[in-house]
Amino acid sequence: MAHFVYPVPANAQPGTAYSAQPAYVAATPAQAAYGTATPRPGQAYESYPAAHATTQYAYTTRTQVAVTPAVSYDQPKAYYQPAPAATAYTAAEAHYQTAKPVFTTGAAGFTAQRPASQPKPPAVQVTTASQSYAYSAASTPAVNTYTSAYNNPTTTQSSISDIVPGYDAAVYSAASSYYQQQQAAKAIGTWAAKKPGTQPFKAKPKGPPKTPQLHYCDVCKISCAGPQTYREHLEGQKHKKKEAAMKGAATPVVRGGHNQLRCELCDVTCTGADAYAAHIRGAKHQKVVKLHTKLGKPIPSTDPVLVTTTGNSTVSVPKATSSTISAVGAGNKTVAKSTTSSVNIVKKVVATPKITFVGGTTLRTTGAKTEEVKAAPEPAAAAKPAEPMQTSSDDLKDDEHLNILGEKDVAPVGHEYIEEVRNEQGKTVSFNCKLCECKFNDPNAKEMHLKGRRHRLQYKKKVDPNLQVEVKPSIRARKVQEDKLRRQSQKEDFWRRREQEDRWRDEMRMEEEMYWEQHRRYDMEYMHRGPMGMMGPRGPFGAGPGPMIRKPESSDDRHVNAKHAAIYPTEVELQAVQTIVSACERALKQTSDVLADSDGPKPEEKKEIKKEEATTDAKQTEKVKEEPANTNRVLKGVMRVGVLAKGLLLHGDLNVNLVVLCSEKPTRTLLERMADSLPKQLATVTEDKYEVKRCVEEAAIIVTAEKEPNPSCTITLTSPVMREANTTEGETVSVKDPPDVLDRQKCLAALAALRHAKWFQARATGLPSCVIVIRILRDLCQRVPTWSHLSQWSMELLVEKCVSSGGPNMSPGDALRRIFECISSGIILPGGPGLYDPCEKDPTNALASLTNQMREDLTASAQHALRLVAFRQIHKVLAMDPLPPPRFPRQRFNNPRKRRHTGSGEGTEEGAEKKEKKEGEEATTEAAATTK
Amino acid sequence: MRGRGGPPMGRGMMRPNFRPGPPFRAFIPHIPFDLVQCESTFPRAKSAPEEKPFTEALLKRNVDLTPSAPEQASVLALVSKIQTILDNLVVTPGAFEAAQIEEVRQVGSFKKGTMMTGHNVADIVVLLKTLPTKEAVAALGSKVQEELKLLEPIEGKVLTMLTNDSGFEMSSAEASVKCLITTIPPNLKKLDPELHLDGKIMQSHLAAIRHSRWFEENAQHSSIKVLIRLLKDLRNRFEGLQPLTPWIIELLSHFAVVNHPSRQPLAINGAFRRSLQLLSAGLFLPGSVGIADPCEQGTVRVHVVMTLEQQDQVCFTAQTLLRVLSHGGFKQILGLEGNASIATEMSVWEGVVVTPSDKAYEKIEKKEDEEEMEEDADESVRRKTCSVKQYQNIQSICHPETQEDADES
Repeated sequence: MAHFVYPVPANAQPGTAYSAQPAYVAATPAQAAYGTATPRPGQAYESYPAAHATTQYAYTTRTQVAVTPAVSYDQPKAYYQPAPAATAYTAAEAHYQTAKPVFTTGAAGFTAQRPASQPKPPAVQVTTASQSYAYSAASTPAVNTYTSAYNNPTTTQSSISDIVPGYDAAVYSAASSYYQQQQAAKAIGTWAAKKPGTQPFKAKPKGPPKTPQLHYCDVCKISCAGPQTYREHLEGQKHKKKEAAMKGAATPVVRGGHNQLRCELCDVTCTGADAYAAHIRGAKHQKVVKLHTKLGKPIPSTDPVLVTTTGNSTVSVPKATSSTISAVGAGNKTVAKSTTSSVNIVKKVVATPKITFVGGTTLRTTGAKTEEVKAAPEPAAAAKPAEPMQTSSDDLKDDEHLNILGEKDVAPVGHEYIEEVRNEQGKTVSFNCKLCECKFNDPNAKEMHLKGRRHRLQYKKKVDPNLQVEVKPSIRARKVQEDKLRRQSQKEDFWRRREQEDRWRDEMRMEEEMYWEQHRRYDMEYMHRGPMGMMGPRGPFGAGPGPMIRKPESSDDRHVNAKHAAIYPTEVELQAVQTIVSACERALKQTSDVLADSDGPKPEEKKEIKKEEATTDAKQTEKVKEEPANTNRVLKGVMRVGVLAKGLLLHGDLNVNLVVLCSEKPTRTLLERMADSLPKQLATVTEDKYEVKRCVEEAAIIVTAEKEPNPSCTITLTSPVMREANTTEGETVSVKDPPDVLDRQKCLAALAALRHAKWFQARATGLPSCVIVIRILRDLCQRVPTWSHLSQWSMELLVEKCVSSGGPNMSPGDALRRIFECISSGIILPGGPGLYDPCEKDPTNALASLTNQMREDLTASAQHALRLVAFRQIHKVLAMDPLPPPRFPRQRFNNPRKRRHTGSGEGTEEGAEKKEKKEGEEATTEAAATTK
Repeated sequence: MRGRGGPPMGRGMMRPNFRPGPPFRAFIPHIPFDLVQCESTFPRAKSAPEEKPFTEALLKRNVDLTPSAPEQASVLALVSKIQTILDNLVVTPGAFEAAQIEEVRQVGSFKKGTMMTGHNVADIVVLLKTLPTKEAVAALGSKVQEELKLLEPIEGKVLTMLTNDSGFEMSSAEASVKCLITTIPPNLKKLDPELHLDGKIMQSHLAAIRHSRWFEENAQHSSIKVLIRLLKDLRNRFEGLQPLTPWIIELLSHFAVVNHPSRQPLAINGAFRRSLQLLSAGLFLPGSVGIADPCEQGTVRVHVVMTLEQQDQVCFTAQTLLRVLSHGGFKQILGLEGNASIATEMSVWEGVVVTPSDKAYEKIEKKEDEEEMEEDADESVRRKTCSVKQYQNIQSICHPETQEDADES
């Protein structure tokens, strides 16, 4: 806290003047004790920013070892404080000196140079430095803001010890001139004694007064050097103020809004834990303690008393009193004088505006700032430290105690930018912060500085722009910030609510649609088994309605949607397909049972059949009939593949595919057995008439309904074993293959179809516009001969790739155009990259089957289609009549004001209109279909 | 009919339409497919074809197109002389009374290093402080000619000076320099078509200055320059690509070479193919995002200078060429063999018949562009009747009774 701006030229002077004074010399031991022992913790602390936690703990334990008998070690927020705090209590130099070696060893790890300087008599340095300061000090005009408090009518004449509350020393430094007069014979006993240069004394080292007489002011809790100073003190403003305050109210005046820590002994209120710690460490406090021990007055706890504005939550944390009060007598009577006066002087002399790092100010700011971080300490946090105080051994608890004010401890930054200035002896006499271009001679001040806002700002500016620096805690700034926070939270709240509403609305709409769809189309299915994945989970229009509604619907979109509605299968068709599929599935299940019964040795047990949706492809509405631990069931399960599984049925699609998985390679015998059994089973599950046809070369059984519109279902047999044969061809074929195994290619194709269905569910179904465009293209492939060469699978792949690479939320019109663009740019031309098939083990080109002429024609056709789309003739590509542009009431546009007014209603109106239209179209197409 | 379709000529795309019609909606351009941008989605399923002959042909063609050293030297000599003379006029304003010159800048292909052989014309823009009266331009031309004669007593004699709409042109036997006259922007409003040069031309000359500056800063990669030369050559030979302006070609070349996820310039063969692919994918079709002009305020898509018909024409020509290219017809495309008929007539490549694309644009659509509110019956009838040859078979929807599930592969 004390400034040490001076270079150390004075050091060159020999300390002869000093040595001449025996009294002063007498004071040396005490000083030495302080000078050496006290700074150590500070030193230790210096190194701790680098390795915060570890060092800190290490230190704490070590100190405890050192001071255990005397000090209970739970002083909150004071890793480095405990030792001085304890000593302040004991006020025993003797104790200090005994403690010192322990400290030294403990701190040896931190500072190598310190032990070296220890043996030196600090007096020499002290003297020389103080001389130089003294002169400048004399020239400083007095600033008497605080002095009044020092006047005290209650006089204890017996002491000349001048004890200034340690921390506030800096603050009170304003009163320096007042002090200077009295400081003739004072030695420095402050913590800062390590930097002896701060001694502001006039070179009147007359030594301490010989009498142990004390001029003690009870109100201000100070002792004066002599009767005269004492009188002056009593007349001073500071004293008077304090006296008045005492008379008026017992409680100290607490400044606005802050929680403060109070040292009851010195009657000093500190604004923060740091400040408090500094105070406890400080010379004034030490002096008071000494004085009190000397006077035999009771020494209250050093633990801070928490003072809040309301005053009712004051928590007093009793600290274990040190046991070394016995050492009182050892104390030197010549109590050190506060360094405070020098602070101002130094500042004045330097006079550069940069060096505004007056100890008092700094500390204050830091304290205020840290406090600002958390204005309201939790009482619990404050109360907590109370109990473990006595035991003092728990390191962890220390941590908690640190936060008596609930302050946020700011990690010091930029330690590497602190330069240590040393004198000839290699002793660190001051610190220079290169970032802020300021100096200080007190390690504590340096510490404060490192945590300080100004330093952090500089650090942020010059070193690490990511560092967070708290907003300057002025009241206005705080208000502004609070305002901002409030507004922000309001805004967030608003958006959250809005989002929720949106989502809710979307879900509702979606559900509505789904429900409607399911109800309308799969009524029967729904009753029996719940919804099937016929159209995929997202409803028939590909994208959920949410994103599509927000984007303006272009003409392309309208055409695509209209076309889509037109090619969508009718209800009759869907129902017919549904009926035949479910009939086949049930019949197949029973067939499987029958086959298993006839084959299996234990038919009784296997009656239990579990129907379960395979978890892996639940969406695929795959029915796996499985018996636990049953290996000899031939027919493992039946699955939907192709358009049925993908939900790509179009108007007129009446042939669907099922795949039956067998445990072994399917044989002709098996096929025939199934074909024989199936009609019987079909008869049991349904009343409808079905025609069952075996088709050995296709490895399939074809079931056709005799009822209009004659849907048919192709049941293909296959087995995963067929694929494995691929890899270990030689032996497997020779060993296992039955003679009448079904065509391998067909079986493999069925397996591939299974994989494709899975892929489709995983990739394409969830993609907005993807399914819709695939349906449109399927229709195109069916209509236009050129496109018929493009296989269904490669078309699906192509669409998925195009849509997924085209950014989120493509509208159907955009997606369709993009596909034409993709083909136009030569994707399928001979030089192009081809289509990588994700469902094959080896790199496979899904387009490999196309001849060059087909590719050429396809590309040319797509190129033309692209230009038709671009020139607003998409209806030609889709083979439909152009839709009229959406009509808008003319009225709206004559009055712009009104338009704005009706803006919100527009969308819904339009949407409703559209829906109506679409439904109308659908109805007509359906009607057409039924008439056919 | 919103959300796509390029704005008709002469209308800024961002300008809201206040005429009665559907409410104005922001134009959301369509981003055309670009294979290079989504290469990851389309991993190669087969090995890349041999590109070496193609690359060599491209480089050879580039060499053919690049003017020879003597040609360049002769142009350079003339340009520097004229530049010196004009600079002197700038420095000594009193020396010439008819007009005051603000600035003289070289622009165009010579400046950009994309000059083609046989076209030894350099461009210089002369920015006048005064109004560009036709007389002043002629006087300036004569002045320059005089000075040139003084400078080069012998050669100066053979120089000819011709004034035209945009300024004057000095030509010698082997080179010529176009001096494009324009004036400072504040003067543009004061132009009188009777007295002065055309304002549109003046503005295009100002734009030329911006273009050459942009080019200097952004398109110095030699791949871009080579591609520009090749595309210019393509444009010269294939009539369908005529609507492409040099500025569009420059921007397209820059786009094709540099606009790449990895920001690594593409090799010339890739870039050449890519420019055809981009054109084929409708980069310059209505509704497409196209390429925004970096030298204009706001977002102006460069291709809107072409009419819809021209956009269609450019697109289908490029599409035909792309198909020819992928069937191995690069020599014909580069003009090393054959003629330009491949773009307009049916051709056979290794047994594959390539039918040239036909136009898709129809005049009638123009009406729709103009936001015709009421759908008149006439129009719909007309539109129904005109169908494109290729899509005639689409007209009747056929519903196949059965459908084969696609289980191949």
